[in-house]
Formats: sequence, structure tokens, C-alpha cells
Amino acid sequence: MSAVLTNPLRVGLRQERVISPQCLVIFGASGDLTHRKLVPALFELFRQRRLPSEFAVLGCARRPWSDDDFRGRMAEAMANEIAEHRSAWDQFAACLFYESVDLQDPPTVVKLGERLELIDRQRATRGNRTFYLSVSPAFYGSGCRALAAAGLLADPARSRVVIEKPFGTDYASAQALNKVVQACAQESQIFRIDHYLGKETVQNILVLRFANTIFEPIWNRNYIANVQITAAETVGVEERAGYYESSGALRDMVQNHLTQILALTAMEPPGRFDPESMRNEKAKVLQAARLANPEEPWKCCVRGQYGPGGSRERPIAGYRQEPGVNPASTTETYVATKLFINNWRWQGVPFYIRTGKRLPKRLSEVVLTFREAPVHLFDAAGGSPTPNQLILRIQPDEGADIRFEVKAPGSGMRSRPVDMAFSYDESFGEPSDEGYVRLLADAMLADPTLYTRSDEVEAAWRLYTPLLELIEDAPEQLPVHTYEARTWGPAAADNLLAEDGLVWRRP
Amino acid sequence: MAAQLTLQAPRALPPAEVVPHLQHLWDTELEGSRGAATFTLVIYEASWLQQQLVRIGWIDGPITGLLERSLVERAKQAVSDCDLPLSTAVMDQRLSWALGQKSGAHQAEDLRGQFVDSAISAHQPRRLITLAPTLDAAESLQTRVAAFCPLVEEGKASSQACGDAVVLRGGRGALQQNLALVDALVEPGLPCWVWWNSSLDEAPDLLEALAPPGRRLVVDSSLGAPRRCIDLLLQRIQAGQAVNDLNWLRLRTWRESLAMLFDPPARRNALEHVVQLDIDVEGDHPLKGLLLAAWIADRLGWHLVSSFAVDGDGAGAGVGAEFQRTDGATVQLRLMPVPVGVPRTHPGAMVGLRMICEPDDRPPLCVILCSETGGCMRLEAGGMASMELLEEVVPVTNATEEEELARLLSGGHDTTNPLMASAVAIAARLLPA
Repeated sequence: MSAVLTNPLRVGLRQERVISPQCLVIFGASGDLTHRKLVPALFELFRQRRLPSEFAVLGCARRPWSDDDFRGRMAEAMANEIAEHRSAWDQFAACLFYESVDLQDPPTVVKLGERLELIDRQRATRGNRTFYLSVSPAFYGSGCRALAAAGLLADPARSRVVIEKPFGTDYASAQALNKVVQACAQESQIFRIDHYLGKETVQNILVLRFANTIFEPIWNRNYIANVQITAAETVGVEERAGYYESSGALRDMVQNHLTQILALTAMEPPGRFDPESMRNEKAKVLQAARLANPEEPWKCCVRGQYGPGGSRERPIAGYRQEPGVNPASTTETYVATKLFINNWRWQGVPFYIRTGKRLPKRLSEVVLTFREAPVHLFDAAGGSPTPNQLILRIQPDEGADIRFEVKAPGSGMRSRPVDMAFSYDESFGEPSDEGYVRLLADAMLADPTLYTRSDEVEAAWRLYTPLLELIEDAPEQLPVHTYEARTWGPAAADNLLAEDGLVWRRP
Repeated sequence: MAAQLTLQAPRALPPAEVVPHLQHLWDTELEGSRGAATFTLVIYEASWLQQQLVRIGWIDGPITGLLERSLVERAKQAVSDCDLPLSTAVMDQRLSWALGQKSGAHQAEDLRGQFVDSAISAHQPRRLITLAPTLDAAESLQTRVAAFCPLVEEGKASSQACGDAVVLRGGRGALQQNLALVDALVEPGLPCWVWWNSSLDEAPDLLEALAPPGRRLVVDSSLGAPRRCIDLLLQRIQAGQAVNDLNWLRLRTWRESLAMLFDPPARRNALEHVVQLDIDVEGDHPLKGLLLAAWIADRLGWHLVSSFAVDGDGAGAGVGAEFQRTDGATVQLRLMPVPVGVPRTHPGAMVGLRMICEPDDRPPLCVILCSETGGCMRLEAGGMASMELLEEVVPVTNATEEEELARLLSGGHDTTNPLMASAVAIAARLLPA
């Protein structure tokens, strides 16, 4: 973002919804997510004056910390943010509490209930609670059971539970987990988080489509030739080898984040912008989505794994050389796949999805490529006219571009492509909130619009079931191609598009 | 929106039986239903305009208290029928007063307090208390009570958060004498909002009693004498009360449009070099324009040096002021009333805004905002086109009072908006004595 003055007329103009008095209970409070994302997001909400004065955060984990230990550890982890806002932090830290809780140990959960009642009295939080399960996925079900058994989810109007990803590891496990959590709480109380949906630019897909009249009439198979959705990372597996080895790119990125972007890109307009209308449309489009070749899924998917790369001076380790990774690992760090959506709007339009680690650039984008003009009247500078494209840049350099042909200057009538660009930075000049800021606020407001519903999650898993089964049963049919670190993935992924006469966009 | 299901027909009860009846209702008949843990909303619903139009037979009943389109259209016609200036807004109390001089004795059913706008009912008020004063100031008090639950929409969980509605209808004297009943009905432990849906010139004692500092007050500073309105806002804010002003909220599109023009970082620097601010408003109620000017002055850190009345061109007196910028340079403000050809709904609607900036290192910039109906022509005159011209037509907001109120309720703010608090303090000093 540009380093510019704040727009003084913009300050305070957003009329934010105000969060009701409540206590946010974070399970897994000693974990990374709490100090990297959750508490910073809450501190940001506090600084934006969006938290009520009757508010508390209760960190819970097995470690025998005191309130002051918890406050100290959060302060230590957020030293940079706090340095600029010391007095705000001092006020905020007074809202932080800690209770040693083991969700597998019922007496400690009962003790948690007593502590919450005490906090209700101390902080006037009125029994209104949001429980955030930032624990190992293996404990999501048992965690919900423990909360329900202690009566902490009994009041649907005053208790919610937020569940981190991954929600299940496949269709069957997601179904089973849904059954467990729905036995503990009503669906309206369950908030399955996908932090991509908290991104301003992801939400902008909806506004771009449904607040304008120029896009929606051409947002269909009659005008759009194909859609590419890319999420590229430059980093490797970092400290997540333990989790990533059992997950891989398909489970870690495609089934959730990229499929949610697919849903927002392809869904029908909802009748109104409310949680159920939105989620109905997302679920419908995911239920209509299919792998391009579900019978022979190896033909519509490519897996890859980064090998060593970089330069002699700055070598980059391959995935199998990363700490904590099995040297013979076949976990994919790259995946590209082709989908179709079998409905009136999208029949026959291929959707290509790719994600990978150790790619040349960090970016996420959606590229809609339009059909060619029916007749080519002009010579094109590039040999043939470039198809129109709408590029939605989700991160970084957030914004959108429209690519179209114009007359190249000169005496002839040659055409060449140009880009018309919208940049969040140039238009608004202020950074948008982290996804967790928006999503935490929404959960505490009991607004599930940007959270995924049980049928969406299940439809997303079902979509990739043929691939997951193939990886499980006959991995040799979907081999992991090695690609050099900091390149755009294996050549086989290019072939996936080359068969359709297309190429991946090189952003 | 969650529709409201009335569990029983509104029941007429003697005032003394209202509280025991509601207690019985919740303790016995509605056992198992949970009362919504939301808020109490007290509405002073005068609806003089609707009552007068019904009385003289210019519109049909029932009297609902809602500012419906047909009512507004007939009231606009009434402005000329009553020989009032065309810039007289429909909600201007001078229209109700003029209608009051006409003869007529038509009657209609009075359903005030029983027609709950869906925007408000969607927030599931725990208790709605409507004070409905009648034209006959001597009329005795009638009270009606009803309980309701939201209709559960298909596929949604049933929360069964129920509420009740109480209507106190009668002459103003009867209402005043029964204020203890209102206090007894306000749910302790829940926030209480008081919406004074009438002129602020009216019944100051009643307003004082209904809205003590602990309750969240909602008023409309376009209704009433400007000095009385701004002083009341200022006094309440200074007393620490949570005050909301619908007139301020209606400035939202103007504030947003102006801020939007300076969102691109390349333009922001111009805001430090404003030399002149011109504001046009409809009719002789300058408060909305003054609140906008005060907001700009506050946000840009200007210091008010002086304010004074200025002569308008036959359309009433305007307001002039001189500010000092943070760098010591002077900013001139002129707020002028302009004549309009069609009555508007609220007095003092914004017509246009012109802000001239003279940065050191680039050509002067002239920013013009104008209302969809007003046009920009007057503000464009005087050689503005020789500057870098930035113009925007501000969309007319179609939100009703009830929708604005619903937005406040959903926000749940328990303090006065700090931007409004600062703007009110400056606007009070801008308004010439």
C-alpha cells in the first residue's frame, strides 16, 4: 500500500455493526494461530472501537498458565504491533484471561463453565459466548461434545462455535464430523471458518458481479470461454511439515479456499444478501460442479512436488529435503485440475484450478477469458486478437484488470491488447483488514454469511472424492511430478491446458 | 425481515391493569417462550400531519404513524393549497399548523403503535411503547397491549424471542400525567431507546421525562427551530447521553460522496489547502448544512474564528463564517438558502456543496457536490470551470425514518457517534445567535 496520509474525511464513516457484550473463548490458546492471527485481529477490532466495553477473551489450553502468563505471551508475540499502541494494548490486555482446560477431561470443562460465569459477572458479558476451536482437527468433534455436555452450547441465541479448517479429511469424515457437531449445536451456531472468505477482494467478487449491470449479462457460457483460478505461494512448507505431509495441496488449499472462490465466481445471484440465500447459492453451484473426467480422474488433474531450485548462491531445498518431511514423500505441493459446472450458466465452460508452493510469485487471482470476436476484421499485432480477459487480483496488488483490444497507433488498422486497471491501493489508498478481523467480528455478531455451511463443505469434499480415492488406492495413476522450486509447476500441468488449446496465464 | 406474529389481538385495558396484565402474560400464558433479550423502544409518535390530513378529509385513514408515500404526495400538494412557500417541507410544522386552521371532523381508526415497520420488528424489540398524542388535547388515556413472536422462516431455527407492544393514546395532558406507567414498563437491564418522532419544539417537559440521560435518544434536528434543535443536541451530548440524530444520518451520502472524492491518495493533499466552502440548502432551516460544514471543519482541523448572518437573495438569511486552517490560512464559509420549486420531505435538505482548494504546487481544485434534484449550475458559475473541476451528483437516499432507526438499533451504539458529537459542538457555534 502507498505510504500516504489517511483521508481525514474517511475516518469513522463506516457504520460498523456493534458486537454484543460477550466472551470469546479460544481453545488452543497456546498455539500459533492464537498469537499470530486471532489475538492480533481482536486487538485490531479493539483499536477500531468495534468491541463493546463488556468484552472478554478467555484463552484455554492444557498448559497451566495464569491470566498474566497469557497476557505476557501475547504481548511478547505481538511486540511490534503493541509498540505503536502501548496504551491501547494495556486497556485491551485487561480483557484477556486464561483457564487451563483439557477438552477431553470433563471436570476441567465444568470448571470452564464456572470461570465463564465469573467472567460474566466481572465483565458483564451476559452469558453471550463464542467458542473458537483452534485445536487439532482430531478434537473438533470431541471438543463440541464436551462443550455440549457441559451445557455451554445450550442457548442457540447466546453461544456459537467456530471451527477451523480442515473440516474433515474427505467426504465421509466431513459427513461424520457434521453429524457430531450438529448433534451438539444447531447449524446456526456452527461457524466453519475459511479465512479466504474474510479477504476484501474475495468478497469483492460478489460486489463486482451483483452490484453492476455490465458483468452479469455476459457472465455465462455464451461469453466466457474458460476460467482460471490460481493461488501461488513462493514459500515452501516451512514449519508445517507435520500437518502438510498428511494433507497436501489438494486438501490444504483446493478443497476449501479455491473451491470457495470457485463458488463465488460461479454461483447464481442470491435473492438477497443474507446468510442462507448466499449459502444456498454457493451450495447449489458446488453440487453442480464435477471433475472434468470423474471416471478417469488422472486425465483432469496433475500433481507436483517442488524439487531443489534457486541459484548456487541462494539454493532452495526441495520438499523432500525440508525438515520433518519424509525423504520419500509423495505428498503434492502443487495441484492443477479441471472442472465443469453442469448447469445452464456454465455447461461446457472449463474451470482450471491450480495452486502450489515454491512458485515464482505469491499471488491469487481469478481470470475469466471471454470468447473471441466472431469475425476478425483487423490485423492483430500479436498475430491473432487476444481474447478479452477480466482478471480479479485477490492478492497482492489487489484490484481488477480488463484486457481488451484497441487500435495500435499508426496509419494501419492493427489491433493490440491493453489493460484497464483498477487498484485498491490507488483508489482507496488504505490497507484493508486482515481476513480474521472480519471473520471474528462476524462470528461474534452471529452472522454466518462468510462461513461455510455443512452442505457446502460436504459438496466441496464430494467434488474431489474421485481424486482423493485415486491418490489413496492407485497413486501411480496420479503421479507426483517434480518441478524446480520457483518455477510455475510441472510441465504436465501445461499439458492439461494445451489439450484444450490453452495456456496458463503467466501473471 | 422477520415478520411479527401477534399472539393476541391488541387488547384495550385500563392503564392501571397494563403492568399486571403483562406480568401475567409472561409468567403464565407465555410460559416457555423467551422474551427477547434486546431492548425497549419508546416512541413518541405525534403524526400531526397525518392526523390533520385525515381530520380535514384530504386522506383516508387509518392513522398509522408511518410516513407513507401517498401521505407525502398529498402533503406536498397541501403546501400550495395552504398558500405556504414552495420551499416549505412536508415535515415542517408550519404545514401541520396551517392544516390545523382548516375545518373538518373526519374520523379514522388510530393504529399507531400497532403497525410495526418490518425494519424495526426484525430487531425483535423486547417491548415497544408508543405514545400517541391526539389532536384533542383533552382526550383521556387509552391503553392497548399485544404480545408477538417472530414468524419462523422455513429452514431457520426457531428462537422464539418474543416481545410485546403497549400503546398509550390520548391528549398530551393525559400522556404527561401517566409517565409513571412508561417508567414501569421500561424493562430494567435492557437498553432503552427513545425515539422522539416529532418536532423538538414540542412538549419539552414530556421529552425531558421520557428521555433521561440513561436512555438512548433518537431525534430529528430538522424538525423544530434550529437553535432549539442544536442546543438540545449539544446539551444532551455534553451530559453524556447517547444521542442519535436522523438529520445527521441523512447526511451520510454527502459525507460519503465527499470522502470518496479524496480516497485516491493523489488528491488528499488538496484537503490541506481549502480556502472556500459554499453550501446551499433548501428553505430556511440551515442545520443540516451547518452539520456538514462542521463535520468538514472538524475533520480538517479548522478553528472557528467568527460566524455571522449574511443576506440571501430574497430566500432568507444565510450563515457566513471564517475558519483558520492548521497552517494559519483562512477558510471562508457561506451557507445560503436557495429557493426550490417542489416541497421536499424534511426542512433544510442539502442542495449543493462547493469546496475550493488552492494547493501550492498545482492548479486550484474545485469540488462540487449537488443533489440529484438540485443541480450544480449555481455552484458551477463564477469561473469555476477555469479550475480543475471535480463534480459528483449525490444520490438521494430513499431510506425511511424507520429504516434509519433500524440501522441504529442494529448498531447498538451506547454512546453518541464521536463525529456527530464534534460536529454538533461546532455547528452550535456556527449558528448565529
